Amino acid sequence: MFKEKLKELEPLFYPKSIAVVGVSSTSIKVGSVWVSALLSAGFPGPIYPVGSGGGKIFNLEIFPSLRLVPGDVDYVIVAIPRRSVLELLDDCIIKKVKAVQFFTAGFSETGTPEGYKLEEQMLEKARQGGIRIIGPNCIGLYCPEHKMTSLLGKIGETGPVGFISQSGGIAGKLIEIGIARHINYSKGVSFGNGIDLDASDFLQYMAADPKTKVIGAYLEGTRKGARLFNTIKEVAKVKPLVVWKGGRTEVGAQAAMSHTGSLASSAAIWSAMFRQAGAIEVNNLEELTDTLLIFQQLNCWQGTSIAIIGGLADGGGGISVSASDACLESGLRVPLLSLETKQELGKLLGEVGSILRNPVDVSQARGMANLFKAIDLVARDTVIDIILIQEDIDILSPIYGQKGLEEINEFFMELRNRHNKPVIIVLPPGSAEPERLQIEQKLLPASVPVFCSMERAAKAIYKLNQYSCWQEAK
Amino acid sequence: MIKSQNLLTEVESKELLKKAGIPVIETKLARSKKEAISISKKMGFPVVLKVSSPDVIHKSDSGGVKLGLVNATQVGKAFSEIISSVKKAYPKAQIEGVSVQLMASPGVEVIVGMSKDPQFGPVLMFGLGGVFVEVLKDVSFRIVPVTERDASEMIKEIKGYPILEGYRGQKPASIPALQKLIIKVSQFVEKNPQIKELDLNPVFAYPDKAVAVDARIILE
Repeated sequence: MFKEKLKELEPLFYPKSIAVVGVSSTSIKVGSVWVSALLSAGFPGPIYPVGSGGGKIFNLEIFPSLRLVPGDVDYVIVAIPRRSVLELLDDCIIKKVKAVQFFTAGFSETGTPEGYKLEEQMLEKARQGGIRIIGPNCIGLYCPEHKMTSLLGKIGETGPVGFISQSGGIAGKLIEIGIARHINYSKGVSFGNGIDLDASDFLQYMAADPKTKVIGAYLEGTRKGARLFNTIKEVAKVKPLVVWKGGRTEVGAQAAMSHTGSLASSAAIWSAMFRQAGAIEVNNLEELTDTLLIFQQLNCWQGTSIAIIGGLADGGGGISVSASDACLESGLRVPLLSLETKQELGKLLGEVGSILRNPVDVSQARGMANLFKAIDLVARDTVIDIILIQEDIDILSPIYGQKGLEEINEFFMELRNRHNKPVIIVLPPGSAEPERLQIEQKLLPASVPVFCSMERAAKAIYKLNQYSCWQEAK
Repeated sequence: MIKSQNLLTEVESKELLKKAGIPVIETKLARSKKEAISISKKMGFPVVLKVSSPDVIHKSDSGGVKLGLVNATQVGKAFSEIISSVKKAYPKAQIEGVSVQLMASPGVEVIVGMSKDPQFGPVLMFGLGGVFVEVLKDVSFRIVPVTERDASEMIKEIKGYPILEGYRGQKPASIPALQKLIIKVSQFVEKNPQIKELDLNPVFAYPDKAVAVDARIILE
């Protein structure tokens, strides 16, 4: 599906050379920041700074005009005032540029007739010259595999998650959170006003891209509703698509209009559209990143029967009870353990009534070996699909110390493989923050999903199942 | 009163819906008292009379609706009362006469409607009638064209769904009949892009069928 879109947009994500227009050797310009970002990311091809003042920046020659750049230019990043954009497009046509990304703002998002008119003129020129436009009013493409960075200059690891965002700010947050939580991207794009290439184009591309396994989207509005609806329908058939719609409330909708010049429509219709098309709707950045993380780590795993293990050291009663609530309220199940598991647990931990329930209280286990045995018994139980464990570092750290904590987490990573069942860890933030982060950074690269709270974990597990349910009902 | 050239009367609306295969309760226009009596005799009693005018949107607010008329005398009297009270409320309204229909036996009241979204085009709405739609806004939407699966999901999605399944001895509503009705409405609005808005309110749902009791179509 969408094989042609893949061919059409692939060169944009893997350009051989990039020119940045709007660079100055004397004053601080966005263009200069962009050049520095590409350099620090290690972009593999030539980078050509362009700026009317000439001179040098980061040891690179600044060309007074795009036309004077000696080599071929595939991709152009533009950060110049809007009055000069049409002239620049002429230069791009002469240079046979493939795509132009406009950071430049001040177009339809301002709501002025001039803004709209200028967009029309840009589009007409680009179509005539066979050039694709990304934006305007955006931070463009992100492709860690090709060391292609956004304005931020940060590059995370390459992975299976693709994202599209109408907003540059949200795109930036997705990249940052991605780096922090090991949500690893194949490609990302912020497309702003999307006058040429818009959400549908990039969704189709990511659906066809063999390196993308799950797609996240932040949308505010669309000018081509029917096309977007049909695209989402087709994309959701082949890959999970997690969508966050901004501008849901009246005030938000007004902000959306002035933000990227999109026409906002009522929240109920958007939600209905997502459901009808098979997309998974989320309501904020937390939910979006949580859901993308769980899809990346567990790859469309199906299963809603959860074993909750709380209180690795203390009783953890309240935590376990509230974790049960979170699971059940999110549409998950917390089933009774099988008789066999109960008997084995009883033998191991002693016949204390409370320990034989789910949520499981393993605090009675004496010593680490018994703790591991108890957890293994629960994980092995065939009524259980997913093991959800709360690790309170504030409590565990003083008891087990750094080495003990490492041992426990090694066990969790190994447990996942032993039973081929997802192990999901909740690490609630507290006072032992450095230790907590250290553990998180070990678990995440081992395909173990990590969340800050049981509530967020439960919601993400539910969303993960939503996709398989939709697929099955088809 | 809203002066609207684009509002079809109930009789006109139901005529179009019937042709499209959407079940509606039989409704005829009576231009005179005599005609109203003879139509009701043919239909059988009890009947409902409603003012028929392209200018009157809120029929019952202006005394334009009379329910449960059980004989010819009551029909005659109701006809005169409707005409005079609507004329009083809306002196400039063009009144075609009254519509006559059989008083439907009570069923579960639902609403099926269509409006146009500026970004996604025609959108269908489903919900339980009365307080559920007006106060609780317990409704679901789907974009046209609506598939069988969409129709089934939009019915099951509303919070009041258990009421349709039969609640406290009340007879259940036929889900397949509602599903079929929704799909027919989707096909109808898809074929007729000149329709701007549509309301089947209420539709009465019974254990074996669903019938639109009142209908309103607004053209572009």
